[in-house]
Amino acid sequence: MALFPVISNFQHDFVLLLVPVDTENTMDEVAATAAHHSVGTRVAPQPDKVIRVRRQGAAEFFPRNARLAETDIRPMETLEFIFCDA
Amino acid sequence: MVEIHPGIRENPNATKGNAMALLDRSEWYDIARATNWTPKFVTDAELFPDVMTGAHGVPAEKWEVYDEPYKTSFPEYVSIQREKDAGAYSVKAALQRSRIFEDADPGWRSILKSHYGAIALGEYAAMSAEARMTRFGRAPGMRNMATFGMMDENRHAQLQLFFPHEYCPKDRQFDWAHKAYHSNEWAGIAARHTFDDLFMARSATEIAVMLTFAFETGFTNMQFLGLAADAAETGDYTFSSLISSIQTDESRHAQIGGPALQVMIANGKKAEAQKLVDIAIARAWRIFGVLTGPAMDYNTPLEHRKQSFKEFMQEWIVGQFERALIDLGLDLPWYWEKMINEFDYQHHAYQMGLWFWRPTLWWNPAAGVTPDCRDWLEEKYPGWNDTFGKAWDVIIDNLVKGRPERTAPETLPIVCNMSQLPICAIPGNGWNVKDYPLDYEGRLYHFNSEIDRWVFEQEPTRYRDHMSLVDRFLAGQIQPPDLMGALAYMGLAPGEMGDDAHGYAWVDAYRQMRRAAE
Repeated sequence: MALFPVISNFQHDFVLLLVPVDTENTMDEVAATAAHHSVGTRVAPQPDKVIRVRRQGAAEFFPRNARLAETDIRPMETLEFIFCDA
Repeated sequence: MVEIHPGIRENPNATKGNAMALLDRSEWYDIARATNWTPKFVTDAELFPDVMTGAHGVPAEKWEVYDEPYKTSFPEYVSIQREKDAGAYSVKAALQRSRIFEDADPGWRSILKSHYGAIALGEYAAMSAEARMTRFGRAPGMRNMATFGMMDENRHAQLQLFFPHEYCPKDRQFDWAHKAYHSNEWAGIAARHTFDDLFMARSATEIAVMLTFAFETGFTNMQFLGLAADAAETGDYTFSSLISSIQTDESRHAQIGGPALQVMIANGKKAEAQKLVDIAIARAWRIFGVLTGPAMDYNTPLEHRKQSFKEFMQEWIVGQFERALIDLGLDLPWYWEKMINEFDYQHHAYQMGLWFWRPTLWWNPAAGVTPDCRDWLEEKYPGWNDTFGKAWDVIIDNLVKGRPERTAPETLPIVCNMSQLPICAIPGNGWNVKDYPLDYEGRLYHFNSEIDRWVFEQEPTRYRDHMSLVDRFLAGQIQPPDLMGALAYMGLAPGEMGDDAHGYAWVDAYRQMRRAAE
């Protein structure tokens, strides 16, 4: 377990945010942490959707249950958080 | 009767019977300011090191053709400046008892606070820069003009510290006129980073190009004209006369850069000159985007707005400055169209950041998003409601439903490693926010745009070691690592932290609309 800062570029939000997560977090947990700072704050909730995580500019999302430590994401890398169909 | 030679006039100050005659300035100016000499005790390179002159190897004699378009003598300068000072101070004294401070819209007071904090000590930086041109300018005319410019900037700093000082007992945020540059407040860091780059850590020639030509001719000269007009429109004649007094100096000493560029271009240094101009405009645009954009489109009360920030930029900055660049034989910066495209959104994004992180400011930002304001924004920026309006909708919903804590910051925005401002762009249905990263010597840098990253890449060693506020947070310099720790680090005491300019009174309009709809 280790604190791991990433940058959230959350769909429909206006600014990049510093989001502290943990290397043991799954992508869904990382997405939930990022959502806390954007959804219901400046981004309207979309309850019927899930939030997926991908590298900025990537087409593919990381698997939802992949742990941060299992990926090659670097600290302070910018991740996109995108509303997707469940 | 003293016979007076044509071209010689009687000294109007001489006492009768002791008549002295003076030549017209035009008859002695050129020879009096021909102050180049051949040094005997040191070499020319030691007296004027290239690192300080920034002459790019253009020899001294080539600089002697430098011809400043505005010429003045010391007695003329002192006489005019005395009148200007007397004018500004007498207006201030005459209106001492006016109620403009109490009666002005809180949004206007916020403009004053942000202006003074961001600009007053920047004038001292500009004074140091002018002093460098005074000593190391390669052309005698440049040194002469810069001597006056140096005194101008000193006057501007003094005025813009003295005028807000009287408001300190009424509102301690005005104390930030002096405090901002001495703090680690994020906007203070951004201003210092920019002005250190353009004014303080540059050679005389670079200063002539970057400060006087790009920053002053391109931006502040025009912006001060607009600001003085806005102040008069608002009824703040004290501030209006102050800004006019400063602007007339700016329009004179801003002319130092043009002839310097002509010398560089004539001696095969166009590429070097172009790069300096491009870097300076890129950096100046960011400061204007965050300071003047929100001031014009959000903080200025709707009834006092004459034109939108975008209209202002297009008319005064693009229209005027494009001509100045072309006339000198320069090209438009490579990013010109990208920058113009940013006029549509960048300052709206900065405004949202300013308002959302309002406790981190030394002024109280006006939201500027009443239903009427939104109609105006939609008219001036078609699509505003579908983009920025979407994000404001969520904020307004939280305020209407009594959830103000959801409008308070809980984490830091990522700031650009060049501008030191939040990396932000269009939200809502036009979402286009993007990081422009750069991996340099093992460190990952983040930029707001291709333009900011390009500036870094021109001279990475100049910028690489600076730590942004976020870098400092991650390095453990901000303790405790939370909002209160950040506010303490920024030096924001209770009573100084920003809050909504109108105390959220503007939200009532939305409450009423919802009640009416129910």
